[in-house]
Amino acid sequence: MRLIWKLLRKHISVFELAIFFVVNLIGMAVILAGVQIYSDIRPMLTGSQPLIGNDYMIISRPIERVGGKTPKITTEEIEALRNEEFVSRLGVFASSKYRVDAGIEFKGNKLSTMMFFEAVPDEFIDVDTQDWHYEVGDNTIPIIIPRNYLNLYNFGFSQTQSLPNITDEMIKRVELDVRITGGGRRDHYNAYIVGFSDRLNTILVPMTFMEWANSYYSNDDTSDATRLIIELQNPSDPKVVEYMSEHGYIAEDRPSESSKAMFLLKVCIAIIIGIGMIFSLLSIIILTLSIYLLLQKNIHKLENLVLIGYKPIYVAMPYILMTVILNVTIFVMSVIAVAFAQHLYMGYIEETFGVVLSASPAASIVAGVLFTIAITLFNLSVIYRKITDISKKRC
Amino acid sequence: MKEIRLNSVVPEIFANRNDIVSDVWHTDVVFERGKHYLVEASSGTGKSSLCSYLYGQRGDYRGVISFDKEVISKLNINQWCNIRQEALSILFQDLRLFGELTALENVTIKNRITHHRSEKQIVAWFEELGIGDKLNARIDRMSYGQQQRVALIRALCQPFDFIILDEPISHLDDKNSDIMRDIVLREANSLGAGIIATSIGKHMNMDYDKILRL
Repeated sequence: MRLIWKLLRKHISVFELAIFFVVNLIGMAVILAGVQIYSDIRPMLTGSQPLIGNDYMIISRPIERVGGKTPKITTEEIEALRNEEFVSRLGVFASSKYRVDAGIEFKGNKLSTMMFFEAVPDEFIDVDTQDWHYEVGDNTIPIIIPRNYLNLYNFGFSQTQSLPNITDEMIKRVELDVRITGGGRRDHYNAYIVGFSDRLNTILVPMTFMEWANSYYSNDDTSDATRLIIELQNPSDPKVVEYMSEHGYIAEDRPSESSKAMFLLKVCIAIIIGIGMIFSLLSIIILTLSIYLLLQKNIHKLENLVLIGYKPIYVAMPYILMTVILNVTIFVMSVIAVAFAQHLYMGYIEETFGVVLSASPAASIVAGVLFTIAITLFNLSVIYRKITDISKKRC
Repeated sequence: MKEIRLNSVVPEIFANRNDIVSDVWHTDVVFERGKHYLVEASSGTGKSSLCSYLYGQRGDYRGVISFDKEVISKLNINQWCNIRQEALSILFQDLRLFGELTALENVTIKNRITHHRSEKQIVAWFEELGIGDKLNARIDRMSYGQQQRVALIRALCQPFDFIILDEPISHLDDKNSDIMRDIVLREANSLGAGIIATSIGKHMNMDYDKILRL
C-alpha cells in the first residue's frame, strides 16, 4: 500500500481538497445545526413544556341575518365532531341564561355595566391559578378575562385619555359588584379577576358556577351549544379545514399562534437545511471533479497497476481511504461546531424564555452519521466506477 | 493453463484484407505449455497487437482466443487480474515501469501481490543481469536497456504457465541477452511454462519448438 500511495498521491491537489473540505464542512455544519435546532425547539412548541401551547381551535356557525337566532350546534353534530380523528379533546361553551350587571366603586363613584358570562370545561383554561374554584353557595365568583382587554386598555385607551396603566396585579385586587337577575330572583355577588387568557376571547366563570346559575336563575333548560373549543391532534392536518368548511363551521383565531410558530419554525429550518444542502452539493461536485481529474492525470499508472495484476478495488483504495478520512474529519468537526452552537443558543433560550431544555446532541450526530455515510458511498461509487472504466478499457 | 488457442483470429484493421499471408492471422494456432515459440514479424504486421490480445489488454480482433477452452473475451476484470497474478506473465515492449519508483520498488510492487519471490532472489537477479548497483536508482534515470532488465525481473515475480516476451532484447547487447535467456529458460523450465517471444529481427538464442511468421 505504501508503494501504491507513493505512486498515486502524485497530482493530488491540496488546494482542491481544501476547498472541498471547507465547503463541505460549512454545508454539513449548517445542515446538522438545522436538524439540531429543530429537534431542540420542537418540544418548546409541542412537548411537555409548551411555550405557546397546544393547538386549540374555537368554532361556531356563521350568523346569517340580522335579528335571527344565534345558530346552534346540535348534540349529534358535537358527537360526530368528537369522533373525528383530528380532534383530541372537545369542550362546549356554556353561556349565561340570566342577566348580569357588574359595577365597580371608583373614588366614591359607582360605575355599572351590563355583562355576560361564558364557561368552558376547566381543562381548556390556560390560566394556572388556585383561585379558579367555585362551590355552590360561595358568594365570590372568580373571573378570567381575555388578555386583549387589558392590552386594549393599557396600549389604546389609557394612552389617549392620560389615564394610568393597570398591571395584572392591580386589576386582580379590584372587587367587582355583580348583580344577577333571572327566574324572578336577584342576587349580589363579589367577583375578582383571577387571570388573563391568551386563548379564550370571552369573560369566563367556572363551569360549576355556570351550571348551577343557569338552572337557578333560568327556566330555559335547553342545552344547545353555539360555540365549541377543540384541541387538535395536528394543527397542520388539511382534513381540519376541509371538515370545517364542509360542515358549515367557522373558526376563530385560526391558525393559532402555536401552529403559526410551528409553521415558521419549519420554514426557517427548511431554508437552513436547504442552504446547507446547496453547500454540500457544491462540495460533492468539487470533490467528484477533483477525483476525476486526479484519476485522469494518473490514468497511465492506474492502467499499469491493473496490467501487472492489481485489482481495481485495491488500486482505488488510496483514494477511498483519502475520501473516508476527509469525510469522517468533516463529520467530527461539524458535530463539534454544532455542539458549540447548541451551547450558545440553549443559553439564550434559557435566558429569554426561562425554559430549560435537554441539550442532547443526538439529533445532529444521527443526521451527521447518515449524511456522512451517504456522501462517502457516493464518493466511493464515483471512484470505483471510474477506476473500473479505466481497467475495462484495458481488458 | 495448458494451452492458448487462436481460431481464425485477425486484427479488425486487417479484417477486410485478403492479401495477408501469416502463420498466425486467419488460421488456427495453439500455444502449448512447456514449449517455446518465436513470433517473427516485420513492423506493422500486428506483433504488439497479438501480445495485447493474449494479455487481455485489447479486444479489437475477429475470431476466438481461448485459454483451455475458456473464451477470453468473456473474462471479467477480476478474472483477468487473477490470470495476471498466477498464470500469465508478460514483458511489455514498452516496459510499463513506474518512472518515479526505484528499480527495486518497481519489482516489489509486483512481488507484493504475488509474494512469489524472496528479496534475496530478486537482488541475485539484479546482480546476474549486471544492474546490482541500480537497485535504488529511480527508473527514469536508467537507460532503456537497464529498464528492460528490471521489467524482466518484475515479470518473473509471479507463477506463470506462459510468459510473453515482447521484443525482450531490443536494447540489449549479446552478452546481456544471453544472460536474460538463461534466466528465462531456467525459470520457465522449473515451472514447466511456455515461452512466447516476439522479435522484429534480433531474437534470443534458444531452441524454439516453433517459429511463426506473422
